[in-house]
Amino acid sequence: MSAEFELTRNITIGQYLPTASVVHRLDPRFKLGAFVILILAIAICDTYVGNLFALAICIWMFQISKIPLHYGISGIKPAIPFIMILAIMQLLFYGEVVNGGTVYLKYGFITITSESVRLVIVSAIRFVEVIFLSSVLTLSTSTTELTHGMERLLGPLEKVKFPVHAFALIITIAVRFVPTFAMEMEKMMKAQASRGADFGTGEWWRIIQRTKDMFPIIIPLFNVALSRAEDLILAMEARCYTPGAARTRYTQYKAVGKDYVALIVSIVISAVMLAIPW
Amino acid sequence: MEKGLTVRKIVIAGVLGAIAILLGVTRLGYIPVPTAAGNATIMHIPAVIGGIMEGWGVGMIIGLIFGVSSFLNATVPLFKDPLVAILPRLFIGVTAYLTYAGLKNVNQYLAIGAAGFIGAMTNTILVLGMAVIRGYMTLGVATTVAITNGLPEAIVSVIVTLAVVAAWKKLGSAGRQKSKISGDL
Repeated sequence: MSAEFELTRNITIGQYLPTASVVHRLDPRFKLGAFVILILAIAICDTYVGNLFALAICIWMFQISKIPLHYGISGIKPAIPFIMILAIMQLLFYGEVVNGGTVYLKYGFITITSESVRLVIVSAIRFVEVIFLSSVLTLSTSTTELTHGMERLLGPLEKVKFPVHAFALIITIAVRFVPTFAMEMEKMMKAQASRGADFGTGEWWRIIQRTKDMFPIIIPLFNVALSRAEDLILAMEARCYTPGAARTRYTQYKAVGKDYVALIVSIVISAVMLAIPW
Repeated sequence: MEKGLTVRKIVIAGVLGAIAILLGVTRLGYIPVPTAAGNATIMHIPAVIGGIMEGWGVGMIIGLIFGVSSFLNATVPLFKDPLVAILPRLFIGVTAYLTYAGLKNVNQYLAIGAAGFIGAMTNTILVLGMAVIRGYMTLGVATTVAITNGLPEAIVSVIVTLAVVAAWKKLGSAGRQKSKISGDL
């Protein structure tokens, strides 16, 4: 019960592990680019060997970024029951839909084919790969670096009138306010609980009750957020912040050899992953 | 974006984006519904509110933040696919804004409630549609999930959107807004 009030402790956003490895020192623009390429390749790749290869690469990335593997595994643990249920559902009801492949079992409406087995195994491995990859990215890059890198990467979009700087600012504000709102929410939950409201104690099947319990938290949360937004608007306008004005930057990035190497390596890995035919 | 982003739009998008992330990481944004798709969500509500309050541009940005955070936090393989987790979420705020803009001259409360409903339905239908296209679910399973998860989501969305936006607007645009020059910038 008491654990449910400790919101701030569970917020792992922007969790950063400074091990000063070569991955940490990469230019964030190139790191993000490599990450996007690998994620796309994983999303497309649907072969057994290709995905095993990708899994090996993900584990290797933990090695070179000197991050203990259990950081990645802890992201998978809570998901295991969901993966199991979904895998069983796909296995039982998917055979009819996927074309091709040999039929292993046909009993009533249940059809299991080699294609549906492959779908189940590949989507489970793919899930692990994406968790590993995104943990490496967020653990080796601070949120500031991430937003800066993203802003630079999206830079060319300025040409088509996409407000890149404003967009990066929005992300920064959002990430900055998460812990603040977590504290506000904790306060509100404690305030409501001390007046006798109980949430999280209802039995799980009483869905309507548990949903109703959320309203006294969610609605004030929006109100607190919006009044904080008003304060921030006032503060920014008082300091003459002008969206879209030309501005200089505090941090400058300069790509060196290892950044290009990282990008090329990720392209090669993706190409190999997609080229493996089994 | 329409007429560029003002300070007001930037800040509102950022703050509501923060709520979307917070509801995701604390798991408070989930309604425990025991179905195949796991839980129903209320995390689309910030996108709906942003769309109603500041237009489709802001709604789309909050939708993007929601999509990316649900992609990064996902515990189900379904939402580890960017095409399912991110793309459909972009349209939540857009449809909510269009609904609100279309109906606001009829009745404010009706318009806000309808926007909440349509925004939630956009999320449900597009995400499940994408899940079917990408082969994570069959059409039958998706329809069941749409009813068991989508309906509670839509109802909660209507209630919260109405409560928040109506409370905010009733106090008058000049009453609650501290900055007096936002409209001119």
